[in-house]
Amino acid sequence: MKTLLGLTVANLKGLTRDRAALFWTFLFPIMFVFLFGVLFSGSGDSKVTVGIVDQDGTATSAQVRAAFAQVPLLVLQDGTLDAETAAMKNGDISAVIVIPSGLEATVGSSKAGQKVSKAIELYTDPAQTQTQQVIQNVVSQVAGSFNLGLSGGSSVMTVEQKTLSSTNVSTVTYIVPSILAMALMQLGVFAAVPLVQQREKGILKRMGATPLQRWKLVGSNILLRLIVAVVDTVLILGVGMAVFNVQIVGNLALAAGFVFLGAGAFLSIGFMLASFLKTEEQASGVVQVVQMPLMFLSGIFFSFTFMPGFLQSIARFLPLTYLGDGLRQTMVNAPQVAPLALDAAVLAGWMVVCLAISARSFRWE
Amino acid sequence: MANSGDPVIRVSELKKCYGDIKAVDGISFEVARGEVFGMLGPNGAGKTTTIEVLEGLRGPDSGTVEVFGLDVCKHPGSIKQRIGVQLQSVSLYPRLTVTELLDLFGSFFKNRVPTKDLIDAVDLGERAKAYSMNLSGGQQQRLSIALALVNDPDLVFLDEPTTGLDPQARRSLWDLVKGLQAKGKSVMLTTHYMEEAAELCDRVAIMDHGHILEMGSVPELIGRRFKERAVYFDTLAKLPADRLGKLGGVTRAAVEDGQTVLYSKDVPDTIGGLLAMAEELGAEPQNLGIRQATLEDVFLDLTGRALRD
Repeated sequence: MKTLLGLTVANLKGLTRDRAALFWTFLFPIMFVFLFGVLFSGSGDSKVTVGIVDQDGTATSAQVRAAFAQVPLLVLQDGTLDAETAAMKNGDISAVIVIPSGLEATVGSSKAGQKVSKAIELYTDPAQTQTQQVIQNVVSQVAGSFNLGLSGGSSVMTVEQKTLSSTNVSTVTYIVPSILAMALMQLGVFAAVPLVQQREKGILKRMGATPLQRWKLVGSNILLRLIVAVVDTVLILGVGMAVFNVQIVGNLALAAGFVFLGAGAFLSIGFMLASFLKTEEQASGVVQVVQMPLMFLSGIFFSFTFMPGFLQSIARFLPLTYLGDGLRQTMVNAPQVAPLALDAAVLAGWMVVCLAISARSFRWE
Repeated sequence: MANSGDPVIRVSELKKCYGDIKAVDGISFEVARGEVFGMLGPNGAGKTTTIEVLEGLRGPDSGTVEVFGLDVCKHPGSIKQRIGVQLQSVSLYPRLTVTELLDLFGSFFKNRVPTKDLIDAVDLGERAKAYSMNLSGGQQQRLSIALALVNDPDLVFLDEPTTGLDPQARRSLWDLVKGLQAKGKSVMLTTHYMEEAAELCDRVAIMDHGHILEMGSVPELIGRRFKERAVYFDTLAKLPADRLGKLGGVTRAAVEDGQTVLYSKDVPDTIGGLLAMAEELGAEPQNLGIRQATLEDVFLDLTGRALRD
């Protein structure tokens, strides 16, 4: 146990003393968080598409609709409740406003002196913090001025807040678990490089001439990467939460499980690559060639549904697709691409297969 | 338990092939306790393969290989606890310091020499906190010898310990090896430097193409082939080789590296004849000298070519 820890510490020192490695392991994913954070947090300036469902169909409800239409920020899209909530789940629109039936009748009763009210239903996605705040403000302002013009301040029209999760690619919240998935993929796949380097330099061979058992050598590598995975997770979520106000609302135990499962699956891929690569230069190149398509075909940065069909079928084989999906579901309650159990099974499958191949093919010198 | 008179290494009919290449083709030798044993030969002779089989890094194709009386295939773990290994041209974790590397390697063994003692032994005190990648070639080599000594081994393997070092660094390594022998350690080393083998080794095996051509102490090896001494001078075109070979006392004439070497049973007769012939042809031999035959001569005689790196 002491030897295992000693080796892990030695590897950790090697990593933290190598500025290039430090950059790629820790700083690069954080830069991604900032990049996407800044790119997508500007939604307050641009238009927000909102579904509007008029269930009343009266002059009064048309008046309310017209009031929303006058808000420069909003683009309205009319439809039925089912159609609009479905569109919101798909990420096509950011919120749904429902003008309830009986609004005109209630307004009439109010004019007659009764103390009655009717609620507008507003569906927003709590994961899209900024958009949610903007729309909530707009809707309560519209309701407020409607009430004011109607009867001098009595609250005839109220707002009932409802939540609905949506798939909206252009949000920091959605992107943070994706960046975490990317970081876990990279730390695993990139692990091939130091392994190949240690073999090329004869370090693995030199270790073989000591009584050190090989499983400890492998174990220390796994341990090192798991430590890096934990640090990366804390950094990425920390920056996302502190700077971009990302809310982690999911099941944390399950999320942690996916972090380790993902790190394990990609580390196995790294081991497998290290089994077939001979020189450090080769390894650095191949690792890039492997990680790039993984990053862009796995739907971690673009929603799956935007991809052409043949790319979607490729994406369905890639482990990063399932790690991203698992992390998004467990961290921010994003709608699923696949059931969680399938996500976990695919990752575990990749891990087992790659480990088996590595165990057969890995060369120590 | 092995008797103290038993050899620390016993190799019998060892064979090892890589594909079609017979790297080691049936060699046998023993190394006694406390002995410094050298394997001498050009690159590709099979020295490293032999030493790596002994270290438990590769399995033999056939033959028996015992270290401390234990079969290397059956007891690699307990053998590795008691041997020290320095591999040919190995770099270490580049960003660990000398002290950290020694501590790390020490943690692999039951028996452990304090890191400070090791650093003193190889004179790396001033570089104890330097990353291994920042050490000079000689310092790296001394570090890898210190790493071979972390477990206070009974038997130390040094594979070309001085290749690529400048003469001064080579001398300081020789002193280290002599220090090991003085402490009663057994040492097996490979080299392609004749003078290194002559300086350090109690016994030498000359290897070429996977075979041991000759084995014994350096004086034995020379004496076995050369009763003569060598008269040498810078080769002169004016002196025809056929006439040189017929000078008095000369048994054999050879040319190596611009020098003519006459192996002679009667040195005064040979030199007299040489000078007379030179005067007759109007030539003057430069850098004329006499020496004993060396390992170099033995190797040349055995293989027909000089041993150079």
